[in-house]
Amino acid sequence: MKSFRPFYFLIEALKSLKRNGVMTLASVAVLMSCLIVIGGFSLLVYNIDVNLEQFGEMNKIAVFCQFDASEDEISGLKKTIEQLDNVKEVVRHTKEERLKTFQEEHVDAYGDITSEENPLSDSLEITYKSTDTQKISNLTYELEKLKGEGQIRKISNRYTLSKKIDNFKNTVMMIFIWFLAILLVVSVFIIVNTIKLALVSRKREIGIMRYIGATKWFITLPFIIEGMLIGLVAGTLAFFIIKIVYNTVVVRSFNVATFISIAKFSSIEPVMVIGFLLIGVVTGVVGSFISLVKYLNT
Amino acid sequence: MIDFKNVVMEYPNGTVALKGISLHIEDGEFVFIVGHSGAGKTTLTKLLLCEEKPTSGHLIVGNYDLSRIPNYKIPHYRRELGVVFQDFRLLPNKTVYENVAFAMQIVGTPARKIRRRVPAILNTVNLSDKHNSFPEEISGGEQQRVALARALANNPKVIVADEPTGNIDPEMSLEIMNLLLKINKLGKTVIVVTHEKELVDYYQQRVIMIKDGVIAEDRVGGMYE
Repeated sequence: MKSFRPFYFLIEALKSLKRNGVMTLASVAVLMSCLIVIGGFSLLVYNIDVNLEQFGEMNKIAVFCQFDASEDEISGLKKTIEQLDNVKEVVRHTKEERLKTFQEEHVDAYGDITSEENPLSDSLEITYKSTDTQKISNLTYELEKLKGEGQIRKISNRYTLSKKIDNFKNTVMMIFIWFLAILLVVSVFIIVNTIKLALVSRKREIGIMRYIGATKWFITLPFIIEGMLIGLVAGTLAFFIIKIVYNTVVVRSFNVATFISIAKFSSIEPVMVIGFLLIGVVTGVVGSFISLVKYLNT
Repeated sequence: MIDFKNVVMEYPNGTVALKGISLHIEDGEFVFIVGHSGAGKTTLTKLLLCEEKPTSGHLIVGNYDLSRIPNYKIPHYRRELGVVFQDFRLLPNKTVYENVAFAMQIVGTPARKIRRRVPAILNTVNLSDKHNSFPEEISGGEQQRVALARALANNPKVIVADEPTGNIDPEMSLEIMNLLLKINKLGKTVIVVTHEKELVDYYQQRVIMIKDGVIAEDRVGGMYE
């Protein structure tokens, strides 16, 4: 006797969306904006992450020797540093090695520099044992003393920098989460309204269906599909907008600044597609459910 | 079989609409339920349609105990019931044929069976020639016949007609009543809730009169008040 009719529900949902055109558009627009903000923040955080990786591991300090330092002076300095507290390992990078690495990473900028013109100096990469702030600042203090004695040209403490970047990242994440929560609540609210309007406009029909013996699911499924469709459309639109804007505006304008590296969109594309569709559909269905709860319980 | 056992219905606002109704209707009976407005007719109808549950007492319709029916079973109960309302309650954007077919669609009847059955039912209520009309294009009496056809669509055991002639002119009323009797002859229990004295007197069937929430009279024949 029973037959499954998926098209009936889909057609009912589409009809209802058309009937409440303005509210449907509003729902799609709000949910889409929400997803675009989510996407934008995700890309920002992702790019910060990618850039952060370039700074290398966190528990390292780089010390640059003087340009005219002799072989003895450098190995002496290396030994001195190895004696310091909280030092795990000291690795020496000669200026030739460093030039080679630079040339490999940035072909355009350093490609034509010969070893005679090498503008770099030898460096010592210090790996420390404990990331305890006090111990690191003690170590930095010792190194600063060596610098004052003229043995070191420059200290690059990546720890402080990565700490700063990490803090920045956390702040962005916090803003992101709050924005997300507020926008999702707004989206759900608008969808609830859309579905409620659809319910009101079909109140009579629903009443008749109930008297004839239609089950709750038969009556409510089109509304849930309606919410789902709103979510799907919003998710798809948001994805393409983000993709186009990122690939044209963002990538092009930041490519000029060589010190920032911009992540390729394709590297987070799959995550974003799944995420957007999932958030869209879940929000749509949750919105439908909230507006139907009262009805489902009677 | 419909069985009311000491049914009391008290609304949340304190109004006691039914003050202990006991009533038995056999399968295949034709019953008028009469009474003035406010007497409790509407509440009785609501209980039969499972719109409300009795405050106390037992109400059994067929295999269902309506005093303790779980919500999920209500739609299934209603499929065994054909309902006709005073205001017809047809879907305005569907044709006569579609209105009847819709009742079968929502309970999941296969399309092939619907195509066979709808013309037959429309024939029963003498509306074969109007199957492509929309409700607003036909008269009140015809609309009520469509409603009747829809009530019959899922082959219910019981037909509940709530003031079926309230919105149509007297000649049409007779036609509707004759159809209800015809349906009763087909073996269905028919319950007609009405306050139209003339009709009740004319048809000489079992009459149950409700007054102030209790059964004032239950007898065969007219002469109501």
